[in-house]
Amino acid sequence: MPSDRVLIIGGGPAGIEAARNLADLGIPVTIVEARERLGGMPIHAQYAALTPDLEDAETAMNRRIEPLLGHPLVDLRCNSAVTGSSGTAGDFRVRVAVGGKEDVVPAAAIIVATGFQHFDPGRETQMYGYYEFDDVITLPDCEKMLKEHKVVRPSNGQPPECVAFIQCVGSRDRQIGNEFCSKVCCGIASKEAIEIRQQLPNCKVFIFYIDMRMYGYWENELYWPAQEKHKVNYVRGIVSEVLKKGDRLVIRGEDTTLGRPVEAPMDLVVLSVGMEPSKGTREMAKLLGLPQNPYGYLDTVGVPLDTVSTAVEGVFAAGSCTGPADLEDSISAGATAAMRAAVLLRKKRAGAEARG
Amino acid sequence: MGCDTSRYAQVPREEKQRLFDQVTADERFGHVLYGCYECGICVATCPSARFYDFSPRKIAQATAREDVDLVYKFMNEDVWDCSQCFSCDKCPRGNSPGGLITILREVAVRNGLKTAKEALEGYGRIIYKIMSTGTQVAPDMLQPSAFPDWGPHVKEISENLPWWRRALPPETLHTTESSWDVSEKTLSELYLIWHMTGVMDMIQEVDEGLHMILMDVMEEKLEEAGFDLHPDGED
Repeated sequence: MPSDRVLIIGGGPAGIEAARNLADLGIPVTIVEARERLGGMPIHAQYAALTPDLEDAETAMNRRIEPLLGHPLVDLRCNSAVTGSSGTAGDFRVRVAVGGKEDVVPAAAIIVATGFQHFDPGRETQMYGYYEFDDVITLPDCEKMLKEHKVVRPSNGQPPECVAFIQCVGSRDRQIGNEFCSKVCCGIASKEAIEIRQQLPNCKVFIFYIDMRMYGYWENELYWPAQEKHKVNYVRGIVSEVLKKGDRLVIRGEDTTLGRPVEAPMDLVVLSVGMEPSKGTREMAKLLGLPQNPYGYLDTVGVPLDTVSTAVEGVFAAGSCTGPADLEDSISAGATAAMRAAVLLRKKRAGAEARG
Repeated sequence: MGCDTSRYAQVPREEKQRLFDQVTADERFGHVLYGCYECGICVATCPSARFYDFSPRKIAQATAREDVDLVYKFMNEDVWDCSQCFSCDKCPRGNSPGGLITILREVAVRNGLKTAKEALEGYGRIIYKIMSTGTQVAPDMLQPSAFPDWGPHVKEISENLPWWRRALPPETLHTTESSWDVSEKTLSELYLIWHMTGVMDMIQEVDEGLHMILMDVMEEKLEEAGFDLHPDGED
């Protein structure tokens, strides 16, 4: 008899949504989460507020996490890792390690939801002096400060008077090899800019961009209010370098629409780092034999009309392990993967019953 | 339209900020400028932009970005290249660069900027005509000396004006001195409007001589209408 269980690798937004839907259908799930608790990047990276509605990230995520804790159909394994898998669709046997111990979990289907990691601006070329200057930080660094309501210059602990966001750091860049758009950074930078203006009303905030990619409602829910209500300054032109002058930073770039070079002192520079496949995503690709695209993300077959099937029958992928995704994308894909897994499980069971 | 503000480097920052604050304090400001995409549709529709190095986009952008140095430069120069046709109201964000320019011009005039005086110098005679008679430019004003920038064609028009007028399809009263008839009552109402809305004060800022002449012309009618021209008891 095949297993009636679905194994979900990764307990971020996509994995949580898959688990919730399967459990609601009465299907037992095992969630394998590498970190000590559920929640994925919004919790792990201590996001302040979610984009675009600015709800407190922890409150919003906990609303999704809590029903899973102690749920009779949810077998939650934190601090654990998938170390191997054998079998085929309907009858996988997945090795799960916790601490030193290893255990085999039988599963009819596997959902990979191992997510992304933030681009590391120091990795390649000491971009913009991230590892050189204390006051050059990244979007997730800024999230942590916003969460604490303490946006300061790390160099001296003082609130900044002038902040510049630099967009597309680690995205849309042939030199780095990340030719894709990370999709969410325009919205998140705008959201953080709004939060800075709310927390520090006297602080001037600039966003240097190539194009602002504020699709759908992010346009009127983030971009317009940032500009119109919160007086965030958008300057089209990418900063070429960040220099140190006295105890401040100087950014150099071109204001392309006004047609003039810019050289402006800043107290804090926030690099809008993009997404890359997480270490876990790369590892699961190898371990489960899932093809990856040139950027390391998991390839799904049949896009755009099938967003979750992989080349391996019975293994589905959801969320930002398949490419840059916002929360809405991840939740939708998590639910879709849950549905595909449930269908597969029922078909296999019906087949087994027919065979007697 | 350059963005070089070095010409105004000697103007104190406080002065530029003071004028900028007057612009943003204008009650119309919130309706003429929301935020700018820098898409350029205002420039694409702008007739002046075809003939001058002029960009309503840059004026909107500089104002939205609170670039007081650049706004000061634009207030002194570029705003006078606008023909106030409001084609730029096509803006997808609902901005009105032309409306913004109206405010910028009014601040320039109210503060008696030298550049505003220079820009309006040639219009003294037109303003006099409109404000004293309540009608627009009269045909007999179409003289090469009045409109040197209109080219050689104005000379041709200025000759045989009465015949040109008679050839026009609409009723032209067979006169070349005015465009149409303005009743006495309308005229005193217009005079009152000029005074009560602060137009006369603006004229005084840019052209004191013109202001004096207009006051002379208007005095009698305003007094008849019961308007106190000297509320502070001045002469």
